Amino acid sequence: MATIKMILLIAVRNLWMARRRSLFLGGALSIVTTLLVLLMALSQGMSDNMIHSATTLTTGHVNVAGFYKATSSDSSPLITDTSKLKAIVEESIPEVDYVVSRGRGFARVTSETGALSSLLAGVDLEQEPALLDVLESAPESFYKEGGSDTIKGDVQKLKDPNSVIIFATQAERLEVGVGDRLTLRVQSFTGMANTVDVTIVAVARDIGLLSNFSMFVPSEVIQELYQLKPDTSGAIYVYLHDIDKSAVVMARLREVLHKEGYELMEYQPAPYFAKFGTVSGEDWTGQKLDLTMWSDEIEFLTWILTALDTVSFGLIGILVAIIAVGVMNTMWISVRKRTTEIGTLRAVGMSKSRVWWLFISEAALLGLIAALVGVLCGALVVLTVNALEIRIPVDAVRAILLSDTLNLSLKPDQVFNAVGVMTFFTTLSAMWPAFKAANLQPVEAIQQSE
Amino acid sequence: MRDSGSEDLIVKMSQVIKEYPLGKLKVQALRGIDLNISRGEFTTIAGPSGSGKTTVLNLIGCVDVPSSGDVQIAGQSTTNLSDKELTHLRLMKIGFIFQSFNLVPVLDVFQNVELPLLLQGELGASERAVRVKEIIARVGLSDQLRQRPNELSGGQRQRVAIARALVTNPALVLADEPTANLDSVTGNTIIELMKELNATQKTTFIFSTHDPKVMRQASRVIRLVDGEIVLDNDGIEGVVEATDGRGEVGS
Ligand SMILES: Nc1ncnc2c1ncn2[C@@H]1O[C@H](COP(=O)(O)OP(=O)(O)OP(=O)(O)O)[C@@H](O)[C@H]1O
Ligand SMILES: [Mg+2]
Repeated sequence: MATIKMILLIAVRNLWMARRRSLFLGGALSIVTTLLVLLMALSQGMSDNMIHSATTLTTGHVNVAGFYKATSSDSSPLITDTSKLKAIVEESIPEVDYVVSRGRGFARVTSETGALSSLLAGVDLEQEPALLDVLESAPESFYKEGGSDTIKGDVQKLKDPNSVIIFATQAERLEVGVGDRLTLRVQSFTGMANTVDVTIVAVARDIGLLSNFSMFVPSEVIQELYQLKPDTSGAIYVYLHDIDKSAVVMARLREVLHKEGYELMEYQPAPYFAKFGTVSGEDWTGQKLDLTMWSDEIEFLTWILTALDTVSFGLIGILVAIIAVGVMNTMWISVRKRTTEIGTLRAVGMSKSRVWWLFISEAALLGLIAALVGVLCGALVVLTVNALEIRIPVDAVRAILLSDTLNLSLKPDQVFNAVGVMTFFTTLSAMWPAFKAANLQPVEAIQQSE
Repeated sequence: MRDSGSEDLIVKMSQVIKEYPLGKLKVQALRGIDLNISRGEFTTIAGPSGSGKTTVLNLIGCVDVPSSGDVQIAGQSTTNLSDKELTHLRLMKIGFIFQSFNLVPVLDVFQNVELPLLLQGELGASERAVRVKEIIARVGLSDQLRQRPNELSGGQRQRVAIARALVTNPALVLADEPTANLDSVTGNTIIELMKELNATQKTTFIFSTHDPKVMRQASRVIRLVDGEIVLDNDGIEGVVEATDGRGEVGS
């Protein structure tokens, strides 16, 4: 409407008239918005890394795992009749991208000079060719002092019997390279110790903290180490097209598997290795299935995100509060300076609510423009940082960020939220001055000019 | 209270008292004013400083309310009206001209004059434009349509204010010392313009002034002293001189 246009015109022109003030305040708003965007991008980047690393190494989007108890006092993280179970799972999830079964183990790994403990993932490359896309080979210099910048080894060779793919940090600690042999030693579920010798076929780039404690072997190695029957595995990993559907899919799977006659453990959002103890103490034998989501399996890591988000929230909150005071103060000055104008408008017949809008729209416009500029700057920084592929020099920071390069990630809805939040708070800060302006008595206002 | 001529009365003040708080005391700015003004009059309110001229105009203009007594505008009592209703009454019936012009600084001449029409919201854009240009032509500023107030002289600004006050065809135009910030020649042309519009548009004008030369232009002079009407007559020159002892001291 024409009146709204007029109100906006007055607002824009007043912002322009006081452009030094607008620039100062708008600049501050933009900087805080940029900071907000960057913190969100950092948190999202870490979350992305975490999900990427976890879903590559230790979990699917949804997992069908389980415990097998031969006697009531033991517990093995095993599922029997894997192929039948896998078929049922595949059939009942239309959202599925692919389904794989993995063996799980925990071994003491020794080289000639060193030793460490690691989770073992027993993979069948026929089932999950995609794994090779996410496992990037590391140049030799990543793990060997004076090593060459060329990549040795080939992840494809995991198809070979008794092969292993380890990660750069592990190779560094074990002082080994491609072609070297490692001994894997496990305590089998029945209490016997077993060893298998394996050859390193590739050294992969680290994928966050989790890759310090994981390595890949062909599934046959797990079978041999634990003396398992052929159709027995550790877990079925379900990968979806949309990771956000995980909870829905898990709920559906529980129903389906229950109907199929499987015994299900009560849902407990914790990683499988945290459940050993409790299951061992429970009084039952045979097979029970345990369904989890990716987030349950890395529940011990997500505190990092929570911590980062909390700190970011606090920081942004303080900055927004400071700016809110600034906006309020500026609006006060504006209202006082324009008392005569307001009184005139009121005398001429402008309603209180329109006077209120006059000031509110000024603040809202300033907030909106500044937030848009801020978001734009933030997005540019994100793009630049990602393009530069900055390597993080400190190990601890790498571990926390779950990546060896700085990875920022920005989602469109986060951009909208940032603009919305900043505009909202700017506008909110103008409420009180605007209210005061609207309630000026026209007679007082006119008198000021005489 | 209705008398035979009440339909033609644009202003009817009955027993109006206005008190202002002054610390713990109260000052009586108006001490019981009775005043009737008919449609089409060209009236001035005169009196020494502090006599209550502005107060009377504010009450007639519905920007202030009396402490007691009643003010009727075009037959409607304003005593029990809400702020919203008073605002609407001002918008629809009253035009204002201020001593300091009081234009919106960020709007140009056209937009300043258009503003009351926009607030009324009754006319479409093209009708508004016709009306606005017409009235701006009447005050002789057609060449300054797109200029901002700070690019205009005082006299030009007051012309814009007059155009803004008249663009809605109000029943009543109020002007508190419209010439006080203008030199006497310019002030005179402004009063002449108002007088001409009064004659052609039949708009009622009520204005206050210190200036006897300005007073002389009025067809009716109401003289206030200490919040009371001491004289009310049509503007015979001799009387004007006689009623303002201070002569041309002005503001
Ligand atoms: N807001 C107010 N608070 C207190 N007293 C006021 C207020 N407004 C006016 N008065 C007093 O009321 C009386 C009348 O004032 P008013 O402004 O109406 O006089 P005036 O005739 O317009 O004077 P001037 O020629 O100086 O403009 C004066 O004594 C003035 O001090
Ligand atoms: Mg006055």
